[in-house]
Amino acid sequence: MARTRTTKKLAQRIDLNYFKRPTSLKRAKFWLSAGLPAIALVWIAWHGFARDSRVYSSGRMSEAHAVLEAQCTACHLQTAGAFSAKASDAACSACHDGPLHHAALTNTAGCATCHTEHRGRVDIVAAKNESCAQCHGDLKTSNGVRSRYAAHIESLQNGHPEFAPLRREANRVRLPTTVRLNHAIHMKPIRRGPNGPNVQLECGNCHRPSAASPDLTYSDGRYVTATVSYGNRSALLPNTGILQPAKPATGRELMAPVKFATACAGCHLLTFDRRLDLGVPHDEPKVVHAFLIAAFSEYIRAHPAELREAVEPGRDLTGRPMAANTRVYTPNQWVASRVYDAEQLLWRKTCAQCHELSIRLAGAAPPVAPWLTVSPEQILTAPIFPEIQLAADPGPRMPHAKFDHDAHRGFACEGCHLKALSSTETSDVLLPGIAACKTCHAPGPEHAESRCFECHTYHDWSKRKEVKPTFMLPALRTGGR
Amino acid sequence: MRIDRTQRGWAIASLIMIAVFTAVYVAYAARAPQGPRGGSAFGLTFGVIGFGFMIVAALLGARKRVPTWRIGRAQAWMRGHLWLGLLSLPVILFHGGFHFGGTLTSVLMWLLIITVVSGLFGAELQHYVPRVMTSDVKLETIYDEIGNVRKLLREEADRAVETVCGPIGVGKSASEEVLRAGGLSAARPMSLTGSLGAVAAAAETAVLTEEECAPLRQFYLSEMRPFLEQPRVRGSRLGDADKAHGAFSGLRTLLPPPAQATVEDLEDICDEARQLVRQERLHHLLHGWLLVHIPLSLALIILGAVHAVMALRYS
Repeated sequence: MARTRTTKKLAQRIDLNYFKRPTSLKRAKFWLSAGLPAIALVWIAWHGFARDSRVYSSGRMSEAHAVLEAQCTACHLQTAGAFSAKASDAACSACHDGPLHHAALTNTAGCATCHTEHRGRVDIVAAKNESCAQCHGDLKTSNGVRSRYAAHIESLQNGHPEFAPLRREANRVRLPTTVRLNHAIHMKPIRRGPNGPNVQLECGNCHRPSAASPDLTYSDGRYVTATVSYGNRSALLPNTGILQPAKPATGRELMAPVKFATACAGCHLLTFDRRLDLGVPHDEPKVVHAFLIAAFSEYIRAHPAELREAVEPGRDLTGRPMAANTRVYTPNQWVASRVYDAEQLLWRKTCAQCHELSIRLAGAAPPVAPWLTVSPEQILTAPIFPEIQLAADPGPRMPHAKFDHDAHRGFACEGCHLKALSSTETSDVLLPGIAACKTCHAPGPEHAESRCFECHTYHDWSKRKEVKPTFMLPALRTGGR
Repeated sequence: MRIDRTQRGWAIASLIMIAVFTAVYVAYAARAPQGPRGGSAFGLTFGVIGFGFMIVAALLGARKRVPTWRIGRAQAWMRGHLWLGLLSLPVILFHGGFHFGGTLTSVLMWLLIITVVSGLFGAELQHYVPRVMTSDVKLETIYDEIGNVRKLLREEADRAVETVCGPIGVGKSASEEVLRAGGLSAARPMSLTGSLGAVAAAAETAVLTEEECAPLRQFYLSEMRPFLEQPRVRGSRLGDADKAHGAFSGLRTLLPPPAQATVEDLEDICDEARQLVRQERLHHLLHGWLLVHIPLSLALIILGAVHAVMALRYS
C-alpha cells in the first residue's frame, strides 16, 4: 500500500517555530540590505574626508575647462558661513572678462545661461540657438531705441534675413565703385595672354587670402617689386566697431584686395610709346608724368637724331604726293611732344580702361576730361594732373559675421559666387546669398554646423580685460592634494 | 502581486501622468537654451517628483515590517509601489535630461535602472512562477521547512528499508530518532494499513533474508540515500523523474513480492524529494531578485538624498 498523506500528518511535519529561524535567503537579504547602503555611505564619507567634491559633479567638464576638473573651487566659490557653493559669474570673469554683447542689452543673464558646464567634453562656446533667440527672437533694447537689426531671428533657418549687401542690391542701392572690372569678360576664354593664346583665368589667379602668396601667373615682376606712392594695402582693413572673435585672425579668412602688380600687369601693359619697351609705373599721375619726362629725356639723349622728325608727306587734291617735310625739335620740345602724346594715350585709354580720371578746374563746376586741359607747350611747365580715385575696398561684406574662406577651400569659388561668371559691373554684389550657406549649414548630422556661433560673436573680445593668473601647476591638476 | 484588471485604475493614472510629464518635458526641452538640466526649475520639479515616487515605493518595506499600521491597505501600498516605482524611472530621466551626469548621478541612474528593471522582472515572475509551482510541485511545503522535511523524508526512507532489511548501519536508529522527535515528524506512520507496514512504526525485524535484501540495500545506500542527503547535486539519476522510474522498475524485478510495497514507498519519497528541489529552485527564482532589488533600492534612497542636498549646494 502506498504512502498516504493527510493534512494533519503533513502539518505535523512542520516545526511551528520555523519562522524564527532565518533561512539563507533571508540572511542574504538582510546582510545585503544593510551592507550595500553602508558601503554607499562609506563611499560618500570617504570622498568627504578626502575633501574631494568631484563625486558630486553633474558631469564631465568641457574641453576648455577639463583641466579644472579636480579643482571644484575654481568656479564653485563658497562664501564664509554659507552653504551654497554655486558657480558664480565672478569665477568666469576671473579668466574671461569679456564685455557684453551690446550696451543696450535687455537680458543680462549670467554666463551659465548660454555656457552650461558639466555636459561632457563639449565645446562650451557653442551656445544653442535658443540662447541667442532669447533676445533676437524678439529684439528689444533697454534704451527704447529701435534696433536696426532684424527683430525676429530664431536661427539660420528661422527668421535670419538675407545678407545686407544683397538686400541693398535688391533695393537697387549700390556702393560707389572706383575701378571698372568686368568679371564676365575675364571669366571667358581670352584670346591673347602674356604667355600665349587662349587664356582661361581662374578665380585664384586674382583672388587669394591675405596670408597666402599671390599667384604670379599674370604678374609683372617689375611692378611687384616697385614701390608706389599711394597706399598699397595688402590686407583688409580691420573692422572697427564690430564684435571681434576671441581668436586672432589667420589671414586666410578673407580674400586680400586684388593688386595690379600681381593680378593685372601680366596682360594689361602700361606701355606708352613704341620707342620704349617700358610701362609707366602703376602710380599717381604726377609720378607717371615724372617718369615719362625722365624716360623720354634719357631716350633723346641717347638718340639725338630723332630730334629731326620727318613729317609724313601728304597728298594734294589730285592725289599727287607732296614733297617730304621735316621738323627739327629742341630736346625739350621733343620731350614735351612725346610726353603729351603718351599722356593722351594713358589718360584717354590705358588708365581709363579701369580708372575714372577727371580734373576739376577752378571755376569749372563739372570735372573735365584730363586730355582737354593741357597743350603740348604747357605739358612741362604747367602740367595739370588728373585725379584717380583709389580703389575703394569696402572691407568685409558681412561685418557682423565671420567667414573663413580657408575652411571652404575645397569648394570651387563659382559654386557659391555664381554671379561672378556673368557680372559686368564692378558694383555688382557677388556675395553668395544665404541660400548658398544653407545648402550645407543646416541642422542634422549630415550637415555642417548651423548654430549662430558659427558665424557670429557674442562678446567683443577686442575689449577684453587682461587677466591676472590664478592657477598654479601642478597643484591644479591634483586638486591641491 | 499579479498585474491584472484590478489594477486598471493605477495603470490609467500612470499613463496619464507619464503623458503629462512627457508633454511638459518635450516643451521644456525644446525651449531650454542649453537643453534640459537637472538644476533648472523644470528639472528640479521632475527630480522632486521622481524622488518622491521612489520614497513612496520604498515605504512599502516599512509598511510590511509594521503590518499593524493602519495607513492604507497593504494591497494599495503594493500597487503604489509597483506603479510609482515604475514611473520614477522616466521622471528621473526627464530630471537629468537623459544625461547620466557625473560619478554620483551616474551611480544613481544605474541603481535606479537596475532597481526598476529587477522590480519589473520580479513582477513578471509573479505571473509565471506561482503557476509553475502549482503544476510542478504538488507536494509543496513551507520553504523555510524544506530542509527539515527533507531530513524527515530521509529518516522515513531509512526506516522503510530497515523494515524489510533490518538495520542498515546509517548512524542512529531511525526509530530512536522518531521517538526523540516525539512523533511530530514524518517518521510517524503515514499508513498503517500496508501489508508490511512499510512506513509503519519502526520494526526491528527484517522480513527478507540477507541475500534477498542485497539489491535493495545496495541501491538504497549507494544511490538513494546520497540523493536524499544532497538532492541538488547533479548527476544522480534519481534527480530525473523518468530515469528514477526506470531505476525503481529495475529494482522491483530483483526483489521478492514482500519488498515491492517498500520500493513503491521509496519511489514516492524520491518523487517528493525531487519536488522539494523544484520548489526550492522556483522559490529562489521567485524571491531571488529581491536580493538585488531591495539592497539597491535602499542604497538608491540614501545616495539620492545625498545627491539632492549636494546638488542644491552646487547649482
